[in-house]
Amino acid sequence: MPDAAPVIYIVDDDPAVRDAVGFLVSSVGYEYVSCASGKELFDRLDAARPCCIVLDVRLPGLSGLEIQRELQSRNATAGVIFITGHGDIPKAVRAMRLGAVDFLEKPFDDQVLLDRISDALSASGEALARNAKQRSLARRLEGLTEREREVLALVIAGKTSKAIAVDLDISAKTVDNHRANLMAKAGVNSVAQLIAWAQNPSDGDTG
Amino acid sequence: MYMPAGKVRRDPRSRAVRTKRTFAFIFAAAVGGLASVGAANGEPPAEVRIGVLAYRGAESADGAWQSTFDYLSAALPQYRFTITTGTAPFLTAAVAAHRLDFVITNPGHFLELKVDYSASALATEEDLEGPPPAEAIGATVFAPAARAELQTLSDLRSLRIAAASPDAFGFRAASREFLDHGIDPLKNMTTDFVGFPVDEIVKAVRAGRADAGIIRSCVLERMVAEGAARDEEFRVIGRKPSSDLRCQVSTRLYPGWPFVKVAQTSPALAQQLSKALFSMQPGADEKAWVEPDDYASVQDLYRTLKVGPYAPFTKLGLLDLIFEHRYWAAVVIMAALWWLVHGVRVSYLVRQRTRELQLAHEAARLRGEQMEHTVRLSLMGEMASSLAHEINQPLAAILTYARGCERRIAGGADADSLREVVGRIAVQAERAGDIVRRMREFVRKNPAPQVPIDPTAALRDAVALFEPTAANAGLEVIADIPDGLPKIRADRLQIEEIVLNLLQNALEAVAAQPDRKVWIVAAAAAGRLDISVRDNGPGLAPGAAARLFDPFFTTKSNGLGLGLSLSRTIVEAHGGQLSVATNAADTGATFRFYLPLMEDVARA
Repeated sequence: MPDAAPVIYIVDDDPAVRDAVGFLVSSVGYEYVSCASGKELFDRLDAARPCCIVLDVRLPGLSGLEIQRELQSRNATAGVIFITGHGDIPKAVRAMRLGAVDFLEKPFDDQVLLDRISDALSASGEALARNAKQRSLARRLEGLTEREREVLALVIAGKTSKAIAVDLDISAKTVDNHRANLMAKAGVNSVAQLIAWAQNPSDGDTG
Repeated sequence: MYMPAGKVRRDPRSRAVRTKRTFAFIFAAAVGGLASVGAANGEPPAEVRIGVLAYRGAESADGAWQSTFDYLSAALPQYRFTITTGTAPFLTAAVAAHRLDFVITNPGHFLELKVDYSASALATEEDLEGPPPAEAIGATVFAPAARAELQTLSDLRSLRIAAASPDAFGFRAASREFLDHGIDPLKNMTTDFVGFPVDEIVKAVRAGRADAGIIRSCVLERMVAEGAARDEEFRVIGRKPSSDLRCQVSTRLYPGWPFVKVAQTSPALAQQLSKALFSMQPGADEKAWVEPDDYASVQDLYRTLKVGPYAPFTKLGLLDLIFEHRYWAAVVIMAALWWLVHGVRVSYLVRQRTRELQLAHEAARLRGEQMEHTVRLSLMGEMASSLAHEINQPLAAILTYARGCERRIAGGADADSLREVVGRIAVQAERAGDIVRRMREFVRKNPAPQVPIDPTAALRDAVALFEPTAANAGLEVIADIPDGLPKIRADRLQIEEIVLNLLQNALEAVAAQPDRKVWIVAAAAAGRLDISVRDNGPGLAPGAAARLFDPFFTTKSNGLGLGLSLSRTIVEAHGGQLSVATNAADTGATFRFYLPLMEDVARA
């Protein structure tokens, strides 16, 4: 569900900070989830929704940086905004290298935080859409035979049936049969439509 | 009994003896003319040279043995007898120079000649009216008869006593008796050696120059007989009952004088002489010669006294021995030198190593102290840092709540919906206040133990700790911390922390200056120690001075705003004050604090 409402995960061991950040983001209409630890975050994280994570660097259990690494290994789309009690340059550098959206020092400027959240959410939404497209393409290609996938690749490459027949060392007629099957499975009527279907699965996706 | 001429005696002391002979030869050569004027003419009849010990003067010596000489001249006409008289050293020198064939001398001198020059006794004198020859001579210790308190030898302890010479036989015989009474004449008495003839001894005692005298037995009696002394004039001290000797003696008795054959004298001549002596008829003086005594009692005396042949090695002897074994001596000396050098070197190395070890220990101790110091300082920094983190939490919450409220109000939220969150803001503000209060109370209620410290050392240590940081930042630290500042009662680390804090502030203040300087000055006056840290930075912003010491007030981008606040709390806990002023002419700021001196605290 790429169109699902975004959600902000607030991870801080200090309930007051958690609550205050939640209060702020809800003031501008965001939905948020408070988590006291990394474990709670991973229990409640909904990877299907565009989201961002406001993460305290210092946490009991999993540290902020460990959480960030874990998110990356899961290919999560969530943007990470670090907040910290006091500037910690080496940690900030590492966090940014790992792709954190920003690194804010407490007490932070509310507008800066909200701007970063907005940036993170849109990035997350885009990443989600990209992921969905890739997943959809993968699903469709699963319905094709090995030979059909080979023919499709050569069609996209702009080769004629004859050239494909030479390449694959099969007859031109057989190539034509494969193409017909491909178009039928993609539900398209022309080669141009077939190419568009293969490259951008959301367009004309019937399924 | 004889020793063949030319036979070399194997005596361990022969080297010493030879040296002595050489010396004696020189001596004899000097007096040789006197010793034997007629000895050199060498005409027949053959000359026989006889030396006689003179203890009462040359004439007396000649006279005493005149009958013997007369007899010998008559009995052995083929020989011409020449008589030489002299003291023992003189006779010894003559023997050494081979200028005498025979010697008539006292038993002690004979013993020396016997041991040193292989002389031997041909005969021993005997007084036919006197005691047996083995008990012919002793010594008499006498004092003026008027000295009634002097009765025994012990009474003479630490008094002045006259004798002929240290090697006079009489003195030696008497020495043994004194030693038996626990008196060493050379140590426990003042001995006055008046020399020969022995009459001098009598004169010295008579004149009162000595309390008592030691004289050969029978001399006193003979002097009385000759009228040289009066019978009632002297009393004999420590008198021994003498058997057959008709004189009063204070010592045991020793054999009479021997007729001595010198080693080189031919055995044939000696045999002729001894035959003649034994057959000599006593003359008017009742003297005769008998078989020689073995002189064991004399040997015993000399051994007891450790004198004459029994004297310990002389220095000359030792040097001589070294000379004889000079190659070995050289080896021994080299070895000793090597050992000495080695010993000195080893002890030097040991000292050096010890010193190095001590230095290393000292360095390690200093490093340890420095490390501990740094650790404690960084712990304080850590504490301040975690305190800042703790404070930041409620501050962040407050700020975020407040911003949220603003946004909701802008969005038209009503007061009721915000009431609850305003309450939460208040809770967080209280929480922050609690943290600050806890911190201040911690510093106030848990003051580090304040002990007497040397401010000079503490301040210099702080400056030294800061120096690397200053050098990195191109900051020149000009310290004026005099020696021997009076002591203060304080927690040294906290004082250093304040100074470091002020120096660090100064460093940051001058960061933009081309010429960065900080002055730290300490001075004691009026019962307090004043410390100032001045920089040449831009000075204080207007209004900053008033808030500078508030917690969390900071003008620095990365400051916590706690340093000055804590510093002030610490200074106040020490009974002092911390203040700041902008320098005249806008050349930076000066932080001052003072701490009471210990004497002042004691009075308070």
